Amino acid sequence: MITVLRLSLPLAIWLASFSGVYGLHGLMCSSRWAGPPIGLSERGLLIGAAILAIAVQSLCLVVLRAPKWRDPDPAMRRIGLALAAIALVAAIWTLLPPTVLASCM
Amino acid sequence: MNALRRHRALSRIWASDPGLRGWFTTVNHTDLGRMFLAVAVFFFVVGGILAMLIRAQLASPRSAFLGPDHYNQVLTMHGTIMMFLFAIPLFEGLAVYLLPKMLGTRDLAFPRLTAYGFWCYVFGGAMMVFSLLAGVAPDSGWFMYPPLSSTIGAPGINPDFWLIGITFVEISAISAAVEITVTVLRYRAPGMSLSKMPIFAWYALVTAVMILTGFPPLILGSILLELERAFGMPFFQVAAGGDALLWQHLFWLFGHPEVYIIFLPAAGAISTILPVMARTTLMGYGWIVAAAVSLGVLSFGLWVHHMFTTGIPHMGLAFFSAASTLVAVPTAVQIFAWIGTLSKGRPSLHLPMLWLLAFFATFVIGGLTGVMVAIVPFDWQAHDTYFIVAHLHYVLIGGFVFPMLAALYYWMPHFTGRKTYFKLGNTAFWLVFFGFHGTFLLLHWAGLLGMRRRIDTYEAGQGWEAINLIASISGFVMAIGFALVLIDVVINAVVAIRGSRDPWKAGTLEWAMPTPSAPYNFASLPHVTSRDPLYDDPELPVRLARGEGYLGDPGRARRETISVEIASGAPRYITVFPGNTALPMLMSAITGLFFLGMLLKTYWLVPISASGVIACALYWVWSLGGTTREGPLPVGRGPDLLTAAETADPPGWWGSIFLLLANGTFFGSLLFGYVFLWTIAPNWPPPNFAEPGLGIGLTALAGAALTALGTRWRPGAALLFAAPGLVALAVTGVMTLMLVPDPTAHAYDATLWVLIGYGLLHQPWHS
Ligand code: HEM
Ligand SMILES: [Cu+2]
Repeated sequence: MITVLRLSLPLAIWLASFSGVYGLHGLMCSSRWAGPPIGLSERGLLIGAAILAIAVQSLCLVVLRAPKWRDPDPAMRRIGLALAAIALVAAIWTLLPPTVLASCM
Repeated sequence: MNALRRHRALSRIWASDPGLRGWFTTVNHTDLGRMFLAVAVFFFVVGGILAMLIRAQLASPRSAFLGPDHYNQVLTMHGTIMMFLFAIPLFEGLAVYLLPKMLGTRDLAFPRLTAYGFWCYVFGGAMMVFSLLAGVAPDSGWFMYPPLSSTIGAPGINPDFWLIGITFVEISAISAAVEITVTVLRYRAPGMSLSKMPIFAWYALVTAVMILTGFPPLILGSILLELERAFGMPFFQVAAGGDALLWQHLFWLFGHPEVYIIFLPAAGAISTILPVMARTTLMGYGWIVAAAVSLGVLSFGLWVHHMFTTGIPHMGLAFFSAASTLVAVPTAVQIFAWIGTLSKGRPSLHLPMLWLLAFFATFVIGGLTGVMVAIVPFDWQAHDTYFIVAHLHYVLIGGFVFPMLAALYYWMPHFTGRKTYFKLGNTAFWLVFFGFHGTFLLLHWAGLLGMRRRIDTYEAGQGWEAINLIASISGFVMAIGFALVLIDVVINAVVAIRGSRDPWKAGTLEWAMPTPSAPYNFASLPHVTSRDPLYDDPELPVRLARGEGYLGDPGRARRETISVEIASGAPRYITVFPGNTALPMLMSAITGLFFLGMLLKTYWLVPISASGVIACALYWVWSLGGTTREGPLPVGRGPDLLTAAETADPPGWWGSIFLLLANGTFFGSLLFGYVFLWTIAPNWPPPNFAEPGLGIGLTALAGAALTALGTRWRPGAALLFAAPGLVALAVTGVMTLMLVPDPTAHAYDATLWVLIGYGLLHQPWHS
């Protein structure tokens, strides 16, 4: 099972963070949103969340290379690393929008 | 024991019942796989006939051939049948038939579940066909958008057939998915580690997990819409606090993964067939696996690209446009790996290869138009036009039907044990290929010229006439081609001469048995050390028939196979499969009554049939047999093994884990629905709404904690804690319902009812 988790976790984290940031955006744009916590703009909040997601994704990649955690089967290890790398690229690419767009338009 | 005596003994143990009875009591994957495939092909023919009716209607402007009412039914049923009753079941059939053979085992993990799923598919499908014949078929489009599909737009019974019939059919998809997941993970030939699995098994695994996580949102959506239609709970009505867009979200949360659920098995077939046709091995196995897994997950983050024109905020558009362009990358990785494989080998132009070339030519175009419509400004122009119709048929026919025809011709010698006779197949190929492009290529332009989707007729003078006429004529050419394929298959199955065992010189295990295969697949199970066992050891089939592998001794006279450790493929225990039984068919028939009761609004039937299903399920579990301790038993090779019943994680445990996954996404979708309405729906919450207070919340928490504690302890203590816990939960549920006595008043009340209903339904499981 741990093998299956190694394979699916990085992209599952991407899915969670992607939907999470999208959900956060939806929440902030709803009429019931009271405004961001003090000192932050909505856009800042989104960019922060995106950076956090990207950091977690990088951490994933590092952990999967660590001798303690990596897969004993070299072929599976390569597949796992490829997936973690794809997840990192996916996180960076799909979380770019808040850096270039204003929120709630 | 010689090979023939072993064959006879094993056949006696594994064979389905003889004659007519065998059809209804079989639990054998070879039989059920064939039956699945045959029924799926039947639905392809029905869907195809509907397509011809559509093209006949659209051949000329202002045609009165069908009339708007019939046209809507025909169009809706064409899409519905092709997606739900053809494409997914065809994958299920192929996987049910092939997987155990490719993985080197004797059957799927839960043989009776295979049968139950099959019969749910047949009965659910029959319901849909009946609606068509009776002229009350669903007519709101295959995506069933409300308000077109709510009582406002469709007061008749038509959409109920869709909501209830398709949910019924989805039971078969979910059961097949559980089956496939557990089989791929635990039922392989000893020694077959994950990285030595045939590539098709990887694709099947990804697809199955996607079904488990992708179907629940649609099942939820269907339940909500049916609740709205039958009882007036207004989830999708803006005036009462709901939102029609919620349906679109739930539908596409399922719908986009669905298109990959359809494409990935085809890609699995391609990755299997292409290297054999090119007389080489697959290039970039690891990359292909990574691409398949990432497509599986990425495709869950794209659903909003079907909703680019619904007025969502710019940021949302940008998120989903970015994610949509991203999926082109893993798709391209696969395409390049396949092209690399081709250039590495010496391709021969057998019929399966021709179909694969047709796939390349067609699917690449569909993929490119896919990237085009993933770009928001372009999609604003193309959405709901024939450009999309062209895109989706390029990817679905090019990306699924063509590879499946390659698969058909590739595995036909395995199905029939005969040599194939190719001349008619070639003619059919060219007719389908040119017919297809003639039909759909020009429709891109029709779309760009402004021809909208789903219209039943159009005015002359907009420049669409020639295109539509050509499309219709080509459509009929394609249909003739498909008819020839069918005739070809029948001729092959009946009159062709007996062929050799491995006509394509492939390396995977399904060819390591005599064809057509015996009900037990392998006289003894191989020990696998590479991805292409037959290339390493061409004598393997003979040695397996001689009983030199695992479990070659039928002495225990029961259906046995070996379960392995997930990652390494080391043998773990012996699984004993149940024998032939009509129970699955009976149970799905009663399940059918349950759905029929809801469809016809004869609600007294619902609890009765539900108890019937539960009774069947209890008998099913009970008949699994007790746990007689047998101790470690010899398996012919390596150390002795225990039987599954004597281990901590028998197959049933694994099956439950994956069912829980499906249940989890169902609940996740429900929460999504709540939050969505909370943030988006304009009239939410109701003006004077009653929020469940602190008291109720605390009691609920305490109840949940007590039940959770109770389940951890010895039976006596468990009852002591769990019983008051359950009572507390039930009381809070009822108290909340009393706060919102009328679920039809507002979407808020309706949603609370559903949430609490979900909770109460789950209570018995904890005890
Ligand atoms: C490169 C990958 C792909 C991308 C970026 C893509 C993108 C899209 C987009 C944005 C739409 C919505 C257009 C609209 O309605 O305005 C769409 C529609 C559709 N796509 Fe794709 N697509 C891709 C591949 C596929 C594949 C592989 C399949 C199936 C095997 C598929 C099947 C469909 C279907 C069935 C629809 C129409 C759904 C409906 O409205 O009824 N697509 N695609
Ligand atoms: Cu899509």
